[in-house]
Amino acid sequence: MANLQLKEYNQQTSNTKTRLSWLWSEYSVIIAFLIIFIAASIMSPRFLDINNQLNILMQVSIIGIVALGMTVVMLSGGIDLSVGSVLVLVGVITVLALNASGSILVAILTALFVGSAAGFLNGLMVAKGRIASFIATLGMMAGARSIALYIAEGGSVSGEVSGFTAIANSDLWLIDYPIIIFLIMTVLVYVLMHKTRFGRYVYALGSNEKAALLSAIRVDRVKLGVYSLVGLLVSVAAIIETSRLNSISSSSSGVQYELDAIAAVIIGGTRMTGGRGKIIGTFFGVLILGILNNMMNLMNVSPHLQGFVKGSIIIVAVLFQKRE
Amino acid sequence: MSVNPFVTMSNIEKSFNGVPVLKSVTLKVQKGEIHALLGENGAGKSTLMNILGGVHQPDNGFIMMNGKEVKMNNPRVSQDQGISFIHQELNVVSDLRVYENMFLGAELKNKIGFLKVEEMCRQTSNVLSQLGVSINPKEYVRNLDTSYKQLIEIAKALLHKSSLIIMDEPTSSLAEHEVKRLFKLMKNLKKSGVSIIYISHKLKEIKEVCDRYTVLRDGEVVGTGSMKDENLETITRLMVGKSISEDRFMHDHSLGPVLLEVSNLTSEGLFNNINFTLRKGEILGFTGLAGDGRTELFESLFGYRKKYTGKVKINNQLVKIDHPSKAIKAGIGLVPKDRKENGIIKDLSVVHNMSLASMRNFEKTGLIQEKAEHQKFQYYKEKLNIKVHNPRITIDKLSGGNQQKVIIAKWLEVNPDIIIFDNPTQGIDVGAKQEIYHHINELVEQGKAIIILSSEAPEVLKVCHNIYVMYQGEITARLKGEEATEDEIMSYATGSKREAEKIG
Ligand SMILES: Nc1ncnc2c1ncn2[C@@H]1O[C@H](COP(=O)(O)OP(=O)(O)OP(=O)(O)O)[C@@H](O)[C@H]1O
Ligand SMILES: [Mg+2]
Repeated sequence: MANLQLKEYNQQTSNTKTRLSWLWSEYSVIIAFLIIFIAASIMSPRFLDINNQLNILMQVSIIGIVALGMTVVMLSGGIDLSVGSVLVLVGVITVLALNASGSILVAILTALFVGSAAGFLNGLMVAKGRIASFIATLGMMAGARSIALYIAEGGSVSGEVSGFTAIANSDLWLIDYPIIIFLIMTVLVYVLMHKTRFGRYVYALGSNEKAALLSAIRVDRVKLGVYSLVGLLVSVAAIIETSRLNSISSSSSGVQYELDAIAAVIIGGTRMTGGRGKIIGTFFGVLILGILNNMMNLMNVSPHLQGFVKGSIIIVAVLFQKRE
Repeated sequence: MSVNPFVTMSNIEKSFNGVPVLKSVTLKVQKGEIHALLGENGAGKSTLMNILGGVHQPDNGFIMMNGKEVKMNNPRVSQDQGISFIHQELNVVSDLRVYENMFLGAELKNKIGFLKVEEMCRQTSNVLSQLGVSINPKEYVRNLDTSYKQLIEIAKALLHKSSLIIMDEPTSSLAEHEVKRLFKLMKNLKKSGVSIIYISHKLKEIKEVCDRYTVLRDGEVVGTGSMKDENLETITRLMVGKSISEDRFMHDHSLGPVLLEVSNLTSEGLFNNINFTLRKGEILGFTGLAGDGRTELFESLFGYRKKYTGKVKINNQLVKIDHPSKAIKAGIGLVPKDRKENGIIKDLSVVHNMSLASMRNFEKTGLIQEKAEHQKFQYYKEKLNIKVHNPRITIDKLSGGNQQKVIIAKWLEVNPDIIIFDNPTQGIDVGAKQEIYHHINELVEQGKAIIILSSEAPEVLKVCHNIYVMYQGEITARLKGEEATEDEIMSYATGSKREAEKIG
């Protein structure tokens, strides 16, 4: 009898142990986020200030939206290096459309169209042309930036229609629109990836493309969808970016966005080679990056050193992933 | 029996996520014996061998070799102890050449560090020829048939001078005569003092080569002894708790109208001028040796391969299938062989693997109904006796045979009019095999049509109405299921005989 109890007890401890290890493996990003959050609030009293918190969210919203798209491509086993350049191209064309038509609606529709068309083109190169996504989107990265520079003659373009700036500069009960848009996009992409057939197919083809094809999945179409979706999300980010200052610079906007987005995705626990990862992970990955940036500013770390800190964090995150 | 066994695994215990898989298992292997390790799918055979091979660590228990305790902390240690391990799932690297695979991690180099390519090729050819295989050592592995891949795995283990070879289902995609060669080799190894632990679900093979056996059931040893003293029936009963008939399945229903008609199907270098018809309610078998082109033929029919000429008619309608999704629309499903490469999606859960090809069945207003998926899985779990503790875990955590059952369930759920099974019972235990044959019979009674591709003549003889034998991309014979014999099939499969009259 005592023996039996002991056995049961052993079973229970091993159960809690496995439950803990399961919690860690599933939610390590959230735990890391909590640790960093607590550390930040101890190190700087200003960190917890509600305005500072909202400020962090505001600052990550653009990269956050891009990172959602990046998560989807990386889950499919690809990568999209063109997000920053496409964002600028979309921004420039949007401003031109805005000024020419005088209509905010036309500007937004133009933005969404240009973004998803660029993404579709990426998708064509990858799915039909069978070009490695790294190469295809590298080409798009150079090409889109170049066209943006050409159109804007190397400089900035500014909106001339009042009201366009309201998109990024209004708030609802203190919460800025970009934050709200970011949260809505997160929920939508979450539902898409975890509750629809499309999402399931993306995971499947990122894990084993041949088996996915043999399961009668139209792999080409899924890929086209994936890259178009990234383009669409990038154009949402571009609208916010342009509206915030009512202008966009063809040379300096969107630079290194792909790196920040990839960093957030990797920190969020998505595997580089596809098939494994979560939208929630990316969400917290984005927040972690935001807090780090914020802390470095609050603590007066030289901006020249900030890249080093970010780089180190990415490498540590990948090391953790490898241990699994 | 000598006093000191060569290898002793004592009171081994192992749990995964709190679920016990091995419960105080003891296994003793003598020097120079072939020891059969038997048991149902999920009994714990591979897990036990993974512990011996240093892949997993036991929670309890110890391993002795030659009277000394050894800790197998990682696969390297186990290799250094002279243990070679042929894993259940193929581990060849498709993008490397044959000889590179053979010497992976142990490349031969000369004094200044250059690879001795010719020497490696020579040794590769040597070992492979012992298995009766003549392939170019510089060929890329991805261009080879599954059975060659399996033979390469075996050859790789033979390359190292080992004192113990673990063979975890080495023959699951081999044809009869390849198995015979392997057995001859195993007997020679035995004579030179090498011990072999042999895992297989093909009991006839076991009777032929093994000296002693140990049977596992739900992670416990339920019997061990000398092969000579037992007959297959008692061993089967030990394994699955009942005896299994080896008779031919009887189907007393008449065949319906022609469902599928294939004429002049040709694909350069793979198969040539293929003609056959499939009727409603019919089970058709295709068999042959490695390189006979049957897999490529049906991959083409399924739309996975596109470069072929010829006509395919379904219900008397000409169809053009150039993508698997079109095959499903036309009513054709394919359960592929080589599950690790073509079947499972290892990052998806067991349930999601089951539903992947039939997502439409689980959707409501565009959203997936997870609950419906789980209920459906429970149905197949009972029907096919799939052993899984928690269906939310990823599929690669399942035992090999149980993975295969999930893949079969996936296609049963699609429910097409024609199902092509390529080596469907790869790694499946005798009891579950019977269940699957039963299921196939139920399907044809409902008016479906089935095509079974198998390298095992006994399997097609057991269930098929008609049997086509292929040799080097051509159909060499069409035989009646109840009249054909293994020898007859073999002589057509090796090309030593071919039917004179035109087939069709
Ligand atoms: N890494 C793992 N994580 C969780 N469970 C596992 C893991 N590996 C094996 N198992 C479980 O252990 C049990 C025994 O598996 P094992 O692979 O040893 O079976 P087996 O006897 O080789 O069966 P088969 O004949 O199908 O190959 C199975 O129920 C399986 O689900
Ligand atoms: Mg096994």
